[in-house]
Amino acid sequence: MPIPQQLARGDKMGRGPYEKSGILRDTSLPPNRLVIESFDIPFPAEFTKQDGKNITTILDYDMTVTVELMYEPFGTNDTDTFTWQKVTKKVSIEKGGV
Amino acid sequence: MKVFRLVALFAFLALLCTVLLAGQNTYAAEAKKATSIDELAKMYDSTGCKGCHEAIYKEWEQSIHSRSIFGTGRTAATIKTTVAVGLMGMQYSGVKKPEDVQVKHLMMCAKCHLPQLAEATDAVAKEIVKNAYVYSDPKATDEAKDKAIVQLSKVNINCLICHQRNAITHKWVDGFPAKDTVYGFKNGEHADPAHPKMKESKIMDESILCGQCHGLGPNLELEEPTQCATLYGSHLFSYVPEGGHEKCQDCHMKKSKLGHNIQSYRDTGLGKSAVDFKVEAFGYQWRDGSRMVPQASVKVEMINRAGHAIPDG
Repeated sequence: MPIPQQLARGDKMGRGPYEKSGILRDTSLPPNRLVIESFDIPFPAEFTKQDGKNITTILDYDMTVTVELMYEPFGTNDTDTFTWQKVTKKVSIEKGGV
Repeated sequence: MKVFRLVALFAFLALLCTVLLAGQNTYAAEAKKATSIDELAKMYDSTGCKGCHEAIYKEWEQSIHSRSIFGTGRTAATIKTTVAVGLMGMQYSGVKKPEDVQVKHLMMCAKCHLPQLAEATDAVAKEIVKNAYVYSDPKATDEAKDKAIVQLSKVNINCLICHQRNAITHKWVDGFPAKDTVYGFKNGEHADPAHPKMKESKIMDESILCGQCHGLGPNLELEEPTQCATLYGSHLFSYVPEGGHEKCQDCHMKKSKLGHNIQSYRDTGLGKSAVDFKVEAFGYQWRDGSRMVPQASVKVEMINRAGHAIPDG
């Protein structure tokens, strides 16, 4: 969102319309431009050592990832939110290997 | 010589009368101001439109425009905050208590939420503030709150704002809007006795019609500038330079099929069409030194297809 500048001066964000004048920073999706967001989500795993070697024990090889694009008028996701897009993907880790 | 002077005097008076009568019906000549919310509502009564334009009227009733100073409740609450935290906290505002609020103070909000407040006395500004306070008071009874909501919902952005008062932006070129005329896409007679004339508005399907309220940024024409919407600025300075050429009405009224139920983020159909959304995900094992770390890589690609940045605020 455009982060409004308090009274058009300094580095503080303003909140009410009576103190907003200007923009300090803008994190909105700009029109007609590609925006890419990347996320790395760890699988559940336990990390141990055996004979000096690192051992990874994967607890679940499959993960369901749901990505939602939500509009949050109050800036929080617990009140009055609007889900515009929702995509679910299945992600797996190979079993075995070297 | 005396006869010539007399004729000249009559000619001058006749010309003066013609000019005055011609201007009598325009906003430029408006003198009488509303002294209550009820009077202002009567000055801008659009219920007569419903008879012939029922479907459009019902669409509009669904929109936030139909309750522009109440909104979802958030607007009324923000009016109260603007007075209590904003105006009363400003050393030179002249507002020490809610009763001190005048039209010039409330125009901070009303410039867009109720532009016709400019044709009202300070008593109307005080009445709006009083009702906003009642609505926002946790100790107020439900009955008192309901009455406040009813009162605040009587005045709004209705047919006569977009199709008359704000239908002409360039008044020196196109003339001042007239009280007996509604503005749309045609010229001719209009069946409503209160508005017997119909004229073309040159901006009815242009973005600037909406841009009058939906914001360039700080409202620098006010003694104390405010800022709410910045959408029209984003449209002009971000969307158009990226090659965009559609108008507000194209998406918010036509493609969305919302008509006069003009919506934005609350309409999930409009929201869904506003952003191209693609998600790719795959699993892999990151090797952190000698330790394998299984993780999912998720890439989200978005292209905002709206005529402005999202979100606004």
